[in-house]
Amino acid sequence: MIKDILLIIIGFSGGLAVGSGFVAFLTVLGIIPRLTQLTKTHHFIRGYEWSVILGAVIGTWGGLRNTHLIMPALLLIPIGLASGIFVGMLAAALTEVLNVLPILSKRIGINEQILVLLMAIVLGKVFGSLFHWSFFVDK
Amino acid sequence: MSSIVLYIRLRQKFQAKMNEIISIEKLAHLIGPKDMTTGLKQKPIYKVKPEDNAFIVIDVMDIIAAIYKEYPDVDIQTVGPSQTIIEVQPKKRKINTLFFVIVWILLFIGAGLTIMNFHEDVAMRSVHQKIYYLITGTHNDKPLILQIPYSFGLGLGMILFFNHIFKKKFNEEPSPLEVEMFNYQQDLDQYVIVHEKKKSELKRHDD
Repeated sequence: MIKDILLIIIGFSGGLAVGSGFVAFLTVLGIIPRLTQLTKTHHFIRGYEWSVILGAVIGTWGGLRNTHLIMPALLLIPIGLASGIFVGMLAAALTEVLNVLPILSKRIGINEQILVLLMAIVLGKVFGSLFHWSFFVDK
Repeated sequence: MSSIVLYIRLRQKFQAKMNEIISIEKLAHLIGPKDMTTGLKQKPIYKVKPEDNAFIVIDVMDIIAAIYKEYPDVDIQTVGPSQTIIEVQPKKRKINTLFFVIVWILLFIGAGLTIMNFHEDVAMRSVHQKIYYLITGTHNDKPLILQIPYSFGLGLGMILFFNHIFKKKFNEEPSPLEVEMFNYQQDLDQYVIVHEKKKSELKRHDD
């Protein structure tokens, strides 16, 4: 009984720390403001908070417990696309936070062609990822 | 000599409709002799035109010039910001709910994926296998149906974040990259100002 209570407390506090850290991380990177700015949906910001919370909770449940649904595999295409967009935005936000592109473009003296520089990173990510999943994992 | 003082404080930012005539009253807070301010408050400064961008910047000098034209001998004191931003409201708000649903699903799946990655010690491969199992109920070591859209989404997400391709279509707000470039340039300029000042001061003391 005592052990159970102790485990509940430990689990709960662990989740509390991870959850708040997760939200803080997302806030620092500024993905949600970016998305609301793009789509002009500032007044729905509360809804986005709930989306992140529910996503994290359901992701935790699906990841830690072995529950599963029986759905057609085609459903995985939009899921894959959405998770890719999310990770891509994370990567872009990190590049931005680290100030890589402004310094790089300043060093080599290109200001207008920063789009080309950006597309190099984007295409590199896409092809690297495709190569990784289709060939590299077989090694 | 007259010693009438007029205080102006610009607003930081406000919204205006298309074809609206912006008077001083909307732009700024005025304090001064009552007979003077009531007339000045109605004075038009700017008219929002359809060819304007989504943002219009009005400098305090424009307002001072307008006041100076009528009362050349008044002492104008500005307090607070020296520019104000007018955000022009678009004519109609549409398909917002659709965007909301898309972004909601995106954040939902993204948050789920990232927390699963955290729990798996950042092993995207086993997370993908797990998601495949979660949805279909069967195991697949190479869930390419999930991973190929994921790869393309990766690029799309970066492009969306920097808002380069849809820039003309969506809005005229600056992309984070442009803001970052601007900040970096300002930091450099600030450094040059402080640094050069120090150098010239040293020189002067040496003489």
